[in-house]
Amino acid sequence: MNRKRDRLGVIHAILRIVNDHHNSIKPTPLLRKSNLSSSSFAEYYSELISKELVKEIKDEKGNKYVTLTDKGFKYLEKYKLILGFIDEFEL
Amino acid sequence: MAMPPPHFLDPMIFVPEILFTVIAVVFCFVIYFRTKESYELTKYEGIRYFRGAFLFFGLSYLLRFVFGLLRFSTIAFDVIIPRQMFAFLFILPLGYFSTVGILYLIFGSVWKKFNNKKMLLIGHLAAVLLTIISFVTRSPRTLLWLQTALLVLAVVLVFFLHKKDKKITGMKLLYILVSMLWLINMWIIDERRPFPFEVEIVFRAVSLVVFIIIYHKISKWVR
Repeated sequence: MNRKRDRLGVIHAILRIVNDHHNSIKPTPLLRKSNLSSSSFAEYYSELISKELVKEIKDEKGNKYVTLTDKGFKYLEKYKLILGFIDEFEL
Repeated sequence: MAMPPPHFLDPMIFVPEILFTVIAVVFCFVIYFRTKESYELTKYEGIRYFRGAFLFFGLSYLLRFVFGLLRFSTIAFDVIIPRQMFAFLFILPLGYFSTVGILYLIFGSVWKKFNNKKMLLIGHLAAVLLTIISFVTRSPRTLLWLQTALLVLAVVLVFFLHKKDKKITGMKLLYILVSMLWLINMWIIDERRPFPFEVEIVFRAVSLVVFIIIYHKISKWVR
């Protein structure tokens, strides 16, 4: 598996974690469950925010939570199809 | 004595030509738009090059038709369009779009092996250079020869890069075929028309079959 392809897989894994936690998880447990180094996680996390796949929300106490956006749900839904497309066309 | 109708405007030539252009352009644009969501979700470089190639080929096939139509209309109706105007209106955009189309198809299968920014820059510079040379010589034929040379170079590069991992697959050959068919279809509208009518029809049919195969493969994955 090449590095770029891994990137799609890592993004998918992070989104799955958020989804599996009823679409609401704090950034620290998300980092722990993602099995990435802090620096790698920070890089992926800012990418996910900038691509609007996830967003941060705060509760009344000011605690920060990560949730999937519509685009994030769409990514999870289409992931296997997109991988199939990439494989089929050797991209 | 009545003059025989010019080649391109003969209904026997014109009808298949317009049908071919419409189908080819529609398929190219449909491939581009149907892969939009996959790209927007992932920003995956391979998908970017793939869909970009079909966008540029679609535009090129459209311009190719207008170019052929205008060129032969001038013969048929005695309208004089200065060569410089022709070169400016068609060789510049046609040269650039089609060269980028060919390059993007190649980039789609080799981008993992290069620095992407440099590859893109060199690709666009090559497209501009080819276009300028064709523009200066004011000859679509120069463009064709240059693109043929570019394609041969690209094929050698792809084979060389994938020789070790033995990855010369049917899909890469299909990409090469798409580029080759573009060049052959450009030769078809050349003034000297190097192929007999029946051969031209076969080339157009093969081109459409290739587009249909690609579209069919995409439909499986892009819903």
